[in-house]
Amino acid sequence: MVTAALATATMLPFNHPLHLAAHEFIVREAYVLDRRDFDLWLTLLAPDLVYRVPVTSTFGASPHKAGEMDHLSEDFYSIKLRIARLKSNLAWTESPPSRTRHLVTNVCCYPGEKENETRVFSSFLVFRTQGDYMGPDLIAGSREDILRRENDETRLARRVVSLDESVLKTQNLAIFL
Amino acid sequence: MALTPKDMSRTLDDLRNGWIETSIYSDPAVFDAEKRKLFTRTWQFMAHESEVPNKGDYVVRKVLHDSFIISRGDDGKVRVLLNLCRHRGGQVCRNESGNTKRFLCPYHAWAYKTDGSLAGVPYHEEAYGGEAELDEKEFGLIEPPHTDTFNGLIFINLDPDAQPLRTHLGDYAKYLEFYFPAEPYGVEMHGPQRWRFKANWKVGAENFSGDTYHTPHTHASTGVIKLVSSAATSNRKAGIMYVAGGGAGATFRLMQGSFEEKLRSVGYPEDQIVRIAERLSPEMRNMIEKDGVLPSATTLFPNMSLLHLSARVDDNGSVFPFTTARVWQPVSETETECYSWFVVDKDATPEFREKSYKAYIMCFGTSGMFEQDDMDAWVTLTRMTQGYMSSSVHLHSRMGLRHDNTPLNEPLTNFSGPGIAHIGFNEYNQRRWLNMWADHLSMEDPAPPLRACARALSQAAE
Repeated sequence: MVTAALATATMLPFNHPLHLAAHEFIVREAYVLDRRDFDLWLTLLAPDLVYRVPVTSTFGASPHKAGEMDHLSEDFYSIKLRIARLKSNLAWTESPPSRTRHLVTNVCCYPGEKENETRVFSSFLVFRTQGDYMGPDLIAGSREDILRRENDETRLARRVVSLDESVLKTQNLAIFL
Repeated sequence: MALTPKDMSRTLDDLRNGWIETSIYSDPAVFDAEKRKLFTRTWQFMAHESEVPNKGDYVVRKVLHDSFIISRGDDGKVRVLLNLCRHRGGQVCRNESGNTKRFLCPYHAWAYKTDGSLAGVPYHEEAYGGEAELDEKEFGLIEPPHTDTFNGLIFINLDPDAQPLRTHLGDYAKYLEFYFPAEPYGVEMHGPQRWRFKANWKVGAENFSGDTYHTPHTHASTGVIKLVSSAATSNRKAGIMYVAGGGAGATFRLMQGSFEEKLRSVGYPEDQIVRIAERLSPEMRNMIEKDGVLPSATTLFPNMSLLHLSARVDDNGSVFPFTTARVWQPVSETETECYSWFVVDKDATPEFREKSYKAYIMCFGTSGMFEQDDMDAWVTLTRMTQGYMSSSVHLHSRMGLRHDNTPLNEPLTNFSGPGIAHIGFNEYNQRRWLNMWADHLSMEDPAPPLRACARALSQAAE
């Protein structure tokens, strides 16, 4: 969780080169997603990607959680398939395509466990509309990312999204968060 | 457009003849009638016992605006309790799930045990005169008129005069057993994912009852990207559709081969094939082995649906089956909340669980590549029916019927499964679902759920 991380780790100062690089990556990625340039987005993802959007649920003060569940629980293969579907001209739900605005902010970075990795926390608000009829739908949450630098390239190795709502108010997740 | 009572009876007559007045998908008057006559009288799925495995575990579910706690008490028994304090109607449980010793009303601190009994009232002696004037035993959380279970599935019915769950299920119980086997076999339910979409709740229920006609087109993308074999979407008309008791469903055609080979072809591992062979009723086994079809989508009237399908979960082409259960819970006449669960054999290996879960997430639920396009179709049609002119259009719901109402294809005479079965595309199942719906809307309002309780109060007053 973000708060635990803030309390225990050493946050990189905002003028640290790793923070600047991570922030730049996150902002660039948001533009890529909103432009729906999914082929380019795929090049920003590591082959061993873990991408999860767990279901948010209000638990009582106890360890018991009724069956844990995700909205998305992806690896590189399934993300690739989802993108192939969006490009197939047969994904009716995205015809016409959603217009999204990924507003990503409150970026805080920490050194990763590995020397070439950075842990990046951020908050987002995604605005989604479609044609002249949908929404506007709003999806709010936070991300906990791991960015990895390899051969002068930075890629997203891990993303866990925490949604603020227990019940999603958008008809599906045919978009990426 | 609000329908008058006279219009309603004409709408229901048209519906029985296979003509759907579009207003049933968006008219507030129709929804009002459903709230009074249908959700008050039908068996509503709450939870599966595996969701509350330990004493003190609970989950919270809804029927329209009624909130219920499904709680496993200290005696190990699972009860369904109205989430409403007996003093001023406060919400005694605000979580969606958890484990607790008691449910405490935040307003005046009346406290209830996990079996629903009233455990404590502040200043019971001074303020109420103690046990003699306020008997705590009489003021526990209220249970619905009927709670019943089927192989771990917990249902309630708010009608004191309801027919028993088993009568409602009828022969459909055999199909339900395919998805939810009796002990010592069984499943775990994980989830639910919950999301709201602006479609009428009936569309999903109708669709899962047997709309194989939409699959080749709506879900064409899933074959093109090889999420499923293209035959799985294009060959749907080879499947058999059945109607049995309170439910109806579709099947998909399996490859030639033995019982084991057939199950292997949809991704079942050997240990599960052994358990399925052991537990299946003769009818269901013959349906798979002789008729060569496997249950896929189905709806138990009115709003619980199940689906069984297989998908490719990695680049190596590994295929795994999965099962999902869902409830189409109405929010309004034009909005539905789906509760969608992943269902898995409780004795499944960790590898199977992981791969089957992956297949589920890729295909169904909030982000599922099948479900995404269903949502779009259902939201769109609900929106299109909301006009003045469009609300008076009668939609064609007569597939498989000639002008003179004789069937295009006779029911199968050699089908192994229970019920009445047809092969090929038709809307027999959907018409049956809509007729059951019309039958409910034609009834008088049921007796109030707390008839007995209300009588007790009036006696006390005398």
